[in-house]
Amino acid sequence: MKYILLMSGTRAGVEAYHAWPKQDIEAHMAVLHRINQDLTESGEFVATQGLAEPKEAKVVRGEKNGVPVTDGIFPESKEFLLGYWIVDVPNAERAYAIAGRISAASVNMPIEVRQLATHEAKSR
Amino acid sequence: MKYILMMNGKRSDFEGYAKWSKEDLRANVAFMRTFSKELKDSGVFVSTEGLGWPSEAKLVRAGQNGEPITDGVFPESKEFLAGYWIIDVESPEQAYRIAARASKAPGAGGKSANMPIEVRPVLSGHTDLGL
Repeated sequence: MKYILLMSGTRAGVEAYHAWPKQDIEAHMAVLHRINQDLTESGEFVATQGLAEPKEAKVVRGEKNGVPVTDGIFPESKEFLLGYWIVDVPNAERAYAIAGRISAASVNMPIEVRQLATHEAKSR
Repeated sequence: MKYILMMNGKRSDFEGYAKWSKEDLRANVAFMRTFSKELKDSGVFVSTEGLGWPSEAKLVRAGQNGEPITDGVFPESKEFLAGYWIIDVESPEQAYRIAARASKAPGAGGKSANMPIEVRPVLSGHTDLGL
């Protein structure tokens, strides 16, 4: 069963992270790197992806005169996806355990765990 | 340049979608299928995933001893990721054009609801997320 683990944060949260001392950021990255390695070794790793800064985010709603209608203004409370991991695990509990490990490595940030809709994905 | 196009919705949006007529659902799914095929045919497709329903979502935090503590209660306003596409394009403008097309997917009653699509560059060859 494939699960996606989503790490999200507000713009303020991202700015606070950037204010961390360099060695703290490096230590955080080292733990995440280690988790990726462990997931690869256990055969549970499917994919991971980091997203660019929230300030580069746009919302597109349809188009006007053939031009996409874009908007870059978001509410303060908007939770931006910062990155995700996709894992292939035997059950939800294992996905929660991996999410817990990522959370512990990331100042107890909450990690949202969702199952992938594999049937739909396959039919595409 | 790689971009991610995300469809987000509140729980009420998902519940609304579940109540669409079979015909409307079929038209929407057919559109999505054609859309993904066009992305593949034009060589910009990287990946796509649809996510399970928000009712199955859990929030996980680490407990004192690193054990996972799960919570399934979310505020009404919470935006859930419904699915995404990752594309590899020449410019942000091209990503916005493709997002505009996804936004025009047929909705209830066959009319496009101009669904908002969030567009973000994704990081590649980077150290984020421990890669």
